[in-house]
Amino acid sequence: MTTATTAPGQAAPLVRVRGLTKSYGAIRALRGVDVSFRRGEIHGLVGANGAGKSTLIRCLAGLERPDAGDILVDGEIAHVHGPDDAARLGLAFIHQELNLVSSFTGAQNIMLGSHRGSMVTPRRFSGVPRAVLDAARRVGIDFPLDIPVSELTVHQQWLVTIARALVEDRALIAMDEPTASLDAQEAATLLKVARELAASGVAVVFISHRLDEVTAVCDRVTAFKDGSISLALPRAEITREAVVRAIVGHDVTPGAGATAFEVTEHPRVVLRLQDVGRGRSVREVSLTLHEGEVVGIAGLVGSGRTELARLIFGADRPDRGTMLLDGKPYRPRSIPHAIARGVAYVPEERRSEALFLTHSVEDNLHITVWDRWRMSKLLPLIRPRASRAAANHTCRTLGIKTADARRPVMSLSGGNQQKVVMGRWLATNPKILILDEPTRGVDVGARADIYDRIREANRSGSAVLVISSEFEELLECNRVLVMAEGRIVGELTGGEITVPNMLHLCYA
Amino acid sequence: MEGTIEKATKPSAEPGAAPGKAQRMLVLSGRYGTPAVLVLLLIGFTAASPQAFMTGQNLLNILNQSATLAIVAGGLTLPLVAGKFDLSFAAVVSLSGILAVGFLERSGLPWFAAVLLALAAASIIGLVNGLLVAYLRINPIVATLGTSTMLLGVNYAYSNGTPITLAPGPFTDIARASVLGIPAPIILTAIVLGGLWVALNFTLLGHHMQAVGTNQVAARMAGVRVARITVIAFAICALCAGLAGVVLAARIGSGQVTAGDGYLLNAFAAVFLGASVLRDGDFHILGTVVGVLIVTVTFNGLSLLGAQSYVQFLFQGGILVAATALSSTSRGMLLASVRH
Repeated sequence: MTTATTAPGQAAPLVRVRGLTKSYGAIRALRGVDVSFRRGEIHGLVGANGAGKSTLIRCLAGLERPDAGDILVDGEIAHVHGPDDAARLGLAFIHQELNLVSSFTGAQNIMLGSHRGSMVTPRRFSGVPRAVLDAARRVGIDFPLDIPVSELTVHQQWLVTIARALVEDRALIAMDEPTASLDAQEAATLLKVARELAASGVAVVFISHRLDEVTAVCDRVTAFKDGSISLALPRAEITREAVVRAIVGHDVTPGAGATAFEVTEHPRVVLRLQDVGRGRSVREVSLTLHEGEVVGIAGLVGSGRTELARLIFGADRPDRGTMLLDGKPYRPRSIPHAIARGVAYVPEERRSEALFLTHSVEDNLHITVWDRWRMSKLLPLIRPRASRAAANHTCRTLGIKTADARRPVMSLSGGNQQKVVMGRWLATNPKILILDEPTRGVDVGARADIYDRIREANRSGSAVLVISSEFEELLECNRVLVMAEGRIVGELTGGEITVPNMLHLCYA
Repeated sequence: MEGTIEKATKPSAEPGAAPGKAQRMLVLSGRYGTPAVLVLLLIGFTAASPQAFMTGQNLLNILNQSATLAIVAGGLTLPLVAGKFDLSFAAVVSLSGILAVGFLERSGLPWFAAVLLALAAASIIGLVNGLLVAYLRINPIVATLGTSTMLLGVNYAYSNGTPITLAPGPFTDIARASVLGIPAPIILTAIVLGGLWVALNFTLLGHHMQAVGTNQVAARMAGVRVARITVIAFAICALCAGLAGVVLAARIGSGQVTAGDGYLLNAFAAVFLGASVLRDGDFHILGTVVGVLIVTVTFNGLSLLGAQSYVQFLFQGGILVAATALSSTSRGMLLASVRH
């Protein structure tokens, strides 16, 4: 332990993690982490995306093998090689997604959490077994458990998930972002359940980006930064400022270094959104985008950034609000319609949403613009040589490293693949170019290239929206909008654009 | 998703890693394995029956026999390229034959009107399949199984379950005419397959169809009109099946409820055999042509040898499994060696 705060009389920790280290290639996700989880305590884990919280949980759950370090349960070294081992040790996990079988009843789903008996031990699949009733009572389930969970609300489904973790007596329950998809009321109920669990002697690990929840409910907070623990505080010392400072790594004074930069007369407005919303994911967003401007959208995962981009790109339809493109009403019925109006979107999930991995670089580059190499209006044939020459030319100008544009795009590195996707959209000369996490999984060299391309697009008149979780990358933007819980919660311009300011707004 | 074709997601190879000798051998055996099977079959049958098999007349006969299967399999290649199964084309083959002969014999229409109406009916079936899959989002296997079963009902209703026969005339000449000694069905097949090859490789439609089949989400996000492409793929498949049905009816001189049944398995066998030709598991027209030839050569050669029909089925099924296994295992081994 780094902080020797173990007061006499305090129970020995249930789970103790000692010097845990885990690397993924060159990325050191955990750098010798020491942390203890005690019975009857709610222990909050906070930190930016990729700080190491989830890796720690995955190691505890047996989903990852640590490179070094020990996990001690009740003082003995435990070998957690898989989820079975974790269950045997009494550790339960509630992951970020709801993992329910939607056609099963609540009771059946809860029974899936029971690891008693073997595969062929008869199980009752009708009615509500006693163990289930006990678990349900503990989490305060007051709705029927003999109807399919698909007929329950999301909050009720979460309670079923939590009850599943409780169907056997558990010593520790780790919840990863359990409140991310709940509204304030539902989150409050969930926090109450967490408190009751702790009161009954369970060790609760609570991961959340919502700092007010963490400061309200946790008995102890550990903050992660870059794979190390940057702060470990008992309840009495938990303050919002201290936690934010620990996440960011240095002092945060809102608005520090803000030299409100005189905004010179902006050119033409390209896109204007007025109170645009869709369900709970995007709530009443208003924004203005000018010609030749690079605007960053900062926000944590799940803050509605991607959902907003999809509304502008016509991939989803807004259910409220109005959009104006070039001063004319803009209601994209479909993606082709949005493209025809000059909107381009480089999605976050490169492999699943953008690339045709087995197809050639040429095919991937030209999917949006094949018609450009059509022989004539009457003859819908594509001139293959002209297309290939153009693709090879694009590879050279964008710095896509491949011997030949006929090579399959899967033979390229992540950075070059991303340049191919960007090239596809730059070819359409978009009025609005939206880039969602453009440098995810991209090495440093390609990163610089990608930002050069963004600058070029911008110089040739495109308005650019850059969505990123890596706030350092947004420092070059003309403006940064910060999103949290589906809303735009702040706008930073000029000297206000600093990483601490962005983080501060995210956690506000 | 069931009913759609999942392609193995291949991990990206290390860029710049030069493939070793063993790896190159694997790639070659995967890509050229199926064409090699065709060559081996030709050599084998020539050796087994030198007088009967490798004669100009028999080779022309093989091509003529392949004509209808080639048209059907060529059409089937399109929905498969777009990642969707079609099980209804065999019933469409029967339907268009029955309709063409029926319009001629019962309604007294001129032969070209009968043929055009039969082709139009076939295309409408394809459009319906496409609409069911693309807009109502029914699993393609289930949707086309449903339409196929309904077509069987229509076929029985129209024909009363008995073959509609007709006397030789301009309609039966479709199958019997020849130009410069080449039978008309072969010329027709060459035109259809050439057209499909051009459409798939050199048109916007073809590129978009391949994109939909490889990654439907990415295709949508790139602005491809996925639903429209899907409908067109099913429509062309049914049109080809209709054309094959007309040629078949002209050849056998009647329209029959069961006329197209044999095409279901043979066309799938041919297209899947073809997917391993030259490319790594993508469906394409040239591959389909090789697949069709393998299927037809097998039947022709074995019947020349006097083999019983059960031998033909065993042999053909065996070749399908062996050729596709060769290509997929060699690809798997190649990937495993690349990962190291």
